[in-house]
Amino acid sequence: MTRRSCVLAGMLVLAAPGFALAKPIAFADGTTVMLEYGAGTMTEAQVFYAPEFNYSVGGGHVEFDSAISPETVRITYARLNYLVQRWNLESAQANVYAWGGAGGATGNTFAGTQGVVNAGGQADYETRRVYASLKTDLQRSSAFSVRVDTLQLGIAPYEHEYNQIATWFVVQAREYTGGIQHGVESAFLLRFFRGGTWIEAGVTNGGKVQAMAMYNF
Amino acid sequence: MNRYRFLLIALLSLSPIAVRAATIEMHVNGLVCAFCAQGIEKKLRKFPQTADVVVSLEQRLVAVALKDGQDIPDAELRKALTNAGYTVTTIERNDTPIATIRSQVGQAKP
Repeated sequence: MTRRSCVLAGMLVLAAPGFALAKPIAFADGTTVMLEYGAGTMTEAQVFYAPEFNYSVGGGHVEFDSAISPETVRITYARLNYLVQRWNLESAQANVYAWGGAGGATGNTFAGTQGVVNAGGQADYETRRVYASLKTDLQRSSAFSVRVDTLQLGIAPYEHEYNQIATWFVVQAREYTGGIQHGVESAFLLRFFRGGTWIEAGVTNGGKVQAMAMYNF
Repeated sequence: MNRYRFLLIALLSLSPIAVRAATIEMHVNGLVCAFCAQGIEKKLRKFPQTADVVVSLEQRLVAVALKDGQDIPDAELRKALTNAGYTVTTIERNDTPIATIRSQVGQAKP
C-alpha cells in the first residue's frame, strides 16, 4: 500500500461521522459504506446495498501488504452477502452470514490482472453489553491465496439507547494466511457509534494502528 | 335538549377519530443495536399512516404515532418488522401521545 493511500484511508476514517458489530447487511433498503485500515497489512473499502434484510450486494477494494516480504496485492471485487440464519432473542441477537464474489487483482509478484474468487462467513452474537464475532474471508486466485480470520470480543461499559453514543471496548485476534503475516495479531480497540455511524480505532500488539469507520443510511 | 345530546353522542360514536387509537406500541425481539432501530424506523416511516416513530432499545419497544383517524393493520406491522429482520411479540393500541412515550423512554425529539 502506498503512503498516499494510507493517508487517504486514515483521513476518511477520521472524517467519517461514526460504527457495536460490523455486519455485511445493516438493514433492508439500507446502504453500508465501510473503511478499514488494518495495521498496515490490510486496507479495505466496501459499499453494500441491502434490498432486503437477508441479503446485500456491492463490492470492495482491498490491499494486502505483507509484513514479512515486499509482496503487495490489490483486489477489487463484487460480492453478494447472505444472512443464512438469524435468532431474535428477547435481549440478544445472533446471526450467521455467508458471502461470495469475484473480481480482479494486481500485484508485484505476478503479471497483469488475475481473476479472484472471494468467499467468507461470519457468526456473531450480540446483546447491549457484550458481543462476540468470528469472521473468515478468503481471496483466492491462481497466483495467490489470502485468508483473514478475525475473532472479536466486545464489552460495553453501559447499555446505550438508540439516540445515544454507544461505547465498546473490543479485543481482537486476527490471523493472515498467504505470507501476509506470521502468527496471530492481537489488538485492543475503542469503538463508538450512534445511529447509523460508527468509528473505531486501536492498536495492535505490534504497536500499529488499526481503525475502521462505517456509515449506514 | 336530550335529542341534541343523543345526536351528538351518536355522531361521536360514528366518528373514526373517536374510536381509533393514537399510538401503536410493539414489543420486538432482537432489538439490541442502533442499526436495528434505524432499519425499523426507516421501514415504519414509509407507511403513509405514520406520523412519528419512537424506538427504545431498553424497553425493546417500537411505538408508531398514527395520523388522525388512521391505522395500520396488525398483519402489515408484523410483515414490516419481519421483513426488517425482527420478531414482533406484542402489538397494542392506546391513546398515549408519542411525546409522552418519548419522554418515558428518555429520548428527546430528534
